[in-house]
Amino acid sequence: MTFQALYTLTDLRVIFRETAPQHSLDEIQRAQAQRLLDNLERQVASLKQEMLK
Amino acid sequence: MRCGIGIEARQVNELFINIDPIQAGGRLTADAMKAVIAYGDGYSVCDNCRKPNRLDYISKPPIAEFHRDVAAWLNMDAVRTVPGARRGFQAVANTYVMKGDPVLLTSLSHYTEFLAIEETGGVAREIPVGSDNKVTADATAMKIEEVLQEFGKVPVLSFIDHIDYQYGNMHDVKAIAKVAHHYDIPILYNGAYTVGILPVDGKDLGVDFVVGSGHKSMAAPAPSGVLAATQERAAEVFRTTAIEGDVTKRKFGIKEPEMMGCTLMGATLVGMMASFPQVKERVKHFDRELENNRMVLEALLSVSGTKVLSEYPRNHTLTRVDTIASFDTVAESHKKRGFYFSSALEEKGIVGVIPGATKVWKFNTYGATTKQAAVLADAFVTIATENGLPLTT
Repeated sequence: MTFQALYTLTDLRVIFRETAPQHSLDEIQRAQAQRLLDNLERQVASLKQEMLK
Repeated sequence: MRCGIGIEARQVNELFINIDPIQAGGRLTADAMKAVIAYGDGYSVCDNCRKPNRLDYISKPPIAEFHRDVAAWLNMDAVRTVPGARRGFQAVANTYVMKGDPVLLTSLSHYTEFLAIEETGGVAREIPVGSDNKVTADATAMKIEEVLQEFGKVPVLSFIDHIDYQYGNMHDVKAIAKVAHHYDIPILYNGAYTVGILPVDGKDLGVDFVVGSGHKSMAAPAPSGVLAATQERAAEVFRTTAIEGDVTKRKFGIKEPEMMGCTLMGATLVGMMASFPQVKERVKHFDRELENNRMVLEALLSVSGTKVLSEYPRNHTLTRVDTIASFDTVAESHKKRGFYFSSALEEKGIVGVIPGATKVWKFNTYGATTKQAAVLADAFVTIATENGLPLTT
């Protein structure tokens, strides 16, 4: 739980690196970013639930 | 954004294409970044350290297995991790060189090899390079004979950089090692620009030691590196301690003096370990890297007057160019002088060329995607045309 969201952000960081400097994502990268951002939202929601219950 | 008081978060590789010649192969993989997050605490790898209490014996995380894997990958018999290639040079020099001993290196050797020799009191003797900036077996033999005349003995150790840091040229290590061994001189292969970039087979090269740099070429945090040895040499460099305290009678088990006991720890080590599967894979695809480098070099060479000072066609992505007759001619009258070039590159999202350099400079395309290589190629041509430099057809 501690690391999941951080690791998802790390994967997003790598996309920034691979697409620098324009950061224009191709279809595959866009789909990957979408999946990672969806995961991130879920992971943050879980953190909220666990830490603030 | 800050990650501490006065410490700006570094976003160079997120915002720019970074062609700094020494940084390209050390950029972390995603797994290494994750390992750094989890293993940042000082003694993070030591939770499961058990007797005989040496870091390279720890099996959780799999440090012992990593050591075995790296040795097999380099086709050597034993490996230790070290805080940078220079510490590998130092360990080997400390083992073989006594005050006044001659040591062989080349006129393109990295300065840390000189410092490793200096620390022992050894005397540096350089194999000169030819007009093509390459070190040859013949030149090696001649230099050894010269040293023999001067000192009455052959060098006690030799260093050879497979790819030198100045030109990124590839030198014939195998032939040079054969000459060194003919004179019974142990040879250290400096793979700072190859281990983690190109396939390296120590036994095939016929070398006694292979040194690699984690932060230069193995997608690892700094300072990190590896020192690999043949079985015969491992017994010498990785000898265990024999010292004993006179009052306490303490001894220190199987700690190795040249490694100062335990080797690389924490985030640096686990970062290197985490990148290793990808590093092993990427060395098989260096041809793609050379293809990207070729694309960028062709663009640079299309600017009239530009010369490649490195061997050409290229065997490595670290490349030295001469733009005295091209980009430097603009510097003379440009309001930013020589800084116009790095400034124009930065505006196009490219960093890594020394600010102010327009005469002779180096860059490294390693790790750039094909799309990024195309952006680089286009940027050089665009800067040339924007500044009125002629292009060759």
